[in-house]
Amino acid sequence: MRRQRAKGEEQLDGRADATASSREQFLARAIVAGGAVAAGGLLVAGWPRLGTAAPSAAQDAKILNFALLLEYIEAGFYSDAVAKGKLSGDLLDFATTVRDHERAHVAFLKGALGNSARRKPKLDFGQTTSDPKTFTSAAISLEETVVAAYNGQAGNLTKPTLAQAARIVSVEARHAAWIRALAGKDPAPNATDKPDTASQVQADINRTGFVQSG
Amino acid sequence: MMSLTLEQLDRDGAIREAVEKASGDTRAAFLGKAVVGGAALLGALAAPGSGEAATAKSDVAILNYALTLEYLQASFYTEAERLGAIKGKLAPIPPQLGAVERAHVQAIKAALGRAAVKRPAFDFHGVTENNSKFLKTAVAFEDLGTAAYKAQAARIKSPALLAAAISIHSVEARHAAWMRFLAGAVPAASAFDEGKPISQVRAIVASTHFVAARPKSRSRKKPKFTG
Amino acid sequence: MAFAAIAAAVIAVVVWPQSPASSPASNQPLGLPASPRPALLVPKPEPLSRSSALSYWASVRVAVAARSAPTPRAATVAWLARTTQDGTTNLVLVLDRRVDRRGRLWVHVRLPVLPNDLTAWVPRAALGVYGTVQTHLVVDLERLTVTLFRSGRPILRAPAGVGQPQSPTPKGSFYIRDVLTRYASPFYGPVAFGTSARSSVLTDWPGGGFIGIHGTDAPQLLPGRVSHGCIRLRNEDILRLRRLMPVGTPITIR
Repeated sequence: MRRQRAKGEEQLDGRADATASSREQFLARAIVAGGAVAAGGLLVAGWPRLGTAAPSAAQDAKILNFALLLEYIEAGFYSDAVAKGKLSGDLLDFATTVRDHERAHVAFLKGALGNSARRKPKLDFGQTTSDPKTFTSAAISLEETVVAAYNGQAGNLTKPTLAQAARIVSVEARHAAWIRALAGKDPAPNATDKPDTASQVQADINRTGFVQSG
Repeated sequence: MMSLTLEQLDRDGAIREAVEKASGDTRAAFLGKAVVGGAALLGALAAPGSGEAATAKSDVAILNYALTLEYLQASFYTEAERLGAIKGKLAPIPPQLGAVERAHVQAIKAALGRAAVKRPAFDFHGVTENNSKFLKTAVAFEDLGTAAYKAQAARIKSPALLAAAISIHSVEARHAAWMRFLAGAVPAASAFDEGKPISQVRAIVASTHFVAARPKSRSRKKPKFTG
Repeated sequence: MAFAAIAAAVIAVVVWPQSPASSPASNQPLGLPASPRPALLVPKPEPLSRSSALSYWASVRVAVAARSAPTPRAATVAWLARTTQDGTTNLVLVLDRRVDRRGRLWVHVRLPVLPNDLTAWVPRAALGVYGTVQTHLVVDLERLTVTLFRSGRPILRAPAGVGQPQSPTPKGSFYIRDVLTRYASPFYGPVAFGTSARSSVLTDWPGGGFIGIHGTDAPQLLPGRVSHGCIRLRNEDILRLRRLMPVGTPITIR
């Protein structure tokens, strides 16, 4: 009796599932992830993608909640920096504008997630928002992390959600280029932007120490 | 490349069963369709995600559309650099952005092979020869490129192509923000960037009159030279 | 003061402080796979190849009066037509540019008119597509040779037939305007390049008396002063030139 996979079930993430018919499920994953069993060099279009990482509403919700966490961090970071009053001039303009953008992103994602939206995390930015230099470095790292995060999840989203995420990621990329330009750095050093996995993004966020509790 | 049939690979029928569940096809119908390319099947087993072979026609069309826009940008920056008329704080822009857009052109041309559209001739009407016109046009091109890629993202069928397009899309957005920064405009004017559909992008490009007929420099007429 | 500077530098460097062990991670990892390898292999961006010897040409978009100075009030020096006598797009060599008081861009160009070596100013708006070439052709009327340079290095040398004393090949600076092929005329060989140079004696020549660079059905006459002004090459040399020399290449005849 084959175990039915529940909708939105947590992925196996690489661990062998000893209870299932391993080879069959492995093949199902391989076929799905490969797009199709390539038949004579033709990609057989239209086969439904099963199992791991197939876009779905439930998966969208998980990814959007992850994005919401990042947007909460950004909105909090810029709000804190502006409120502390240690920024001025172009840097203050940047922080104020971007704060408003990130707040709009938070509102949008909360609206999209409805009751599924994660709650606002408890955040502490320490000294990074108290000084223009540390603020600038932290802003650059934060924007770069968020761009890589969205780019990393693009392929996992359903198409309608991808269209919405695309409207946000380019704004984050603009933020990144903007603060880099203010810092005298090359705003666009690469021909392509590298995507990061959720784990990599999570590790970057953990390293900041900004998030006190989920 | 060795051509295998599923029968040869699939002694206990596990592959066949999985394929049937995925497609709803009967075994006979599926096997009747095609011979499995051995390397491709092995590739799908070994590294999920790498098993794709041919590209969907709509993806080819999207790639050629992207190529046209990249030709436009690359030719714009390349001409600006060659003519040497962009001075001062803008002087580093044509070489740097030109190199990136040329790299984008190369990548898309390599993916399309013979299916790639040819580079058109461009008449840039002096905008590559004037600092402020150059900057205004650069802002417009980069904003346009971002909006164009964005609107196509959800239409791309191949996950690998989507990954590529997404990673270029955010670079175009960086360029747009940078050019706006240099122009004294706000680099990110709004919390959300909107995409532009193909028809709108084509209309905007057409309105520039930058795409020109290639000069006719060859003829089969009999020479009229003095001899 | 030094201590404060060091402290500031340390603060600036430490962006991601290690989070205390007790601080919880905010979210479990999603457990989703990484993005697939992108379908496009974007190479490392490369700068344009440096060339010490760039020349620029422009196609003529609309017929226009070429003027002695970059202003509409300056005298007309010549009329610039849209097409050549061969039915090809007329080209000019681009030498310089200037913006007039009303903000219009003017371009200083070398013209395919008599007297030879004439330059004048035209509005950028009358010109169209730009091209860049790295090649330069030198015709030596004393040595009876042509040499093609690319980025300053010679890549082709060939013996030439030039104008007879009574119909000399003009000296000066010119450029390749077009290339004719697949016409049936052994006198001109397989390929003929049209130049901007004109015979200053054969001014009534049908088609304007333009100097061409072309092949020949009498290679035994080369090198020599044998033509009505044209530069004749052996057919194998004109075919090599066809492969190596783009339209718009500047020519020095000395």
